[in-house]
Amino acid sequence: MDLLHWCQWLEHSPLATAISESFWLFPLIEGTHILALPISVGMIVMFDLRLLGLGFKSGPASRMMRDILRWSKFGFAVMFATGVVLFMTQAGKAYDNVFFRTKLVFLLILGLNAVVYQLVFFPRMAEWDAHKAPFGARVCGALSLVVWIGVIVCGRTMAYQF
Amino acid sequence: MIPALWSVLESISNTHWIVVMRDSSYGMPAVQSFHLVGLTFLLAAVFVQNLRLSSVGMLEWSLPVLERQLRPWTYGAVTMVIGSGLLMFVGTPAKYLASNPFRFKMAALLLAIVFQFVVFRRFFTADTSARRRSTNVLVAAISLTLWFSVGWAGRAIAFVP
Repeated sequence: MDLLHWCQWLEHSPLATAISESFWLFPLIEGTHILALPISVGMIVMFDLRLLGLGFKSGPASRMMRDILRWSKFGFAVMFATGVVLFMTQAGKAYDNVFFRTKLVFLLILGLNAVVYQLVFFPRMAEWDAHKAPFGARVCGALSLVVWIGVIVCGRTMAYQF
Repeated sequence: MIPALWSVLESISNTHWIVVMRDSSYGMPAVQSFHLVGLTFLLAAVFVQNLRLSSVGMLEWSLPVLERQLRPWTYGAVTMVIGSGLLMFVGTPAKYLASNPFRFKMAALLLAIVFQFVVFRRFFTADTSARRRSTNVLVAAISLTLWFSVGWAGRAIAFVP
């Protein structure tokens, strides 16, 4: 079975059908996916603002990272779980949707961006904790800010095409 | 609704650019994307302030400083959500006026704004140490409940008559 057929099978599986036909379940899952945005993406972009020197300048970046990103991890767990279920219910339609594909590419870029930050800039945060972030870290912050907005735009737009 | 007000709304909803926004494939997704990006920034700013108010995090930032540093982002986000929200409303006013979740959303929004300026803002003009923590946590819980209710009611517009 190729990927397209698997997606179509998934969309019409008994579980996916039950969810999409449920009066409460689908709105509840979709609502949770959207209302988790401020906790997942929102906390990341707040930290991006600190990296870019556009906010939270009066405190140490490392404390902000610790206090804020723990919430974003929780937010992303909710996002991922609800996102997987939403995908199940629309997998066949999502498969060749250009906005869904772009969203996945954006998420991949953001994942790589986060890995680069963790490996290159996180270990040396103590050196610039109370000051301006180094150029590379600011690039990571700017990329994250812009691409996360792109993820939201793609996510909202793809739903209009189903 | 007052007939004069309704005819004004109706004529706005039939102006060229509103019709283009409503009927083109990417008009509404673009406006709704603005609404969601604004929501993300606004509720994130509210969330961070409430984390600090309830002493859960961001303790190195004093309340007045945190509020001041977030203010341009909060106001920018409010402009985005209200601007895009108004566009959605004038696109199909009859749909929104007849919607129960929309009425609930406007009531929750009004309450959230009043609470923000009458109670919440006052907690940020002086530092928390003078007050009992339970009072601060209660204010944070009310603030978060009100703002997230606005979001949930907004989502319900699509599903509930």
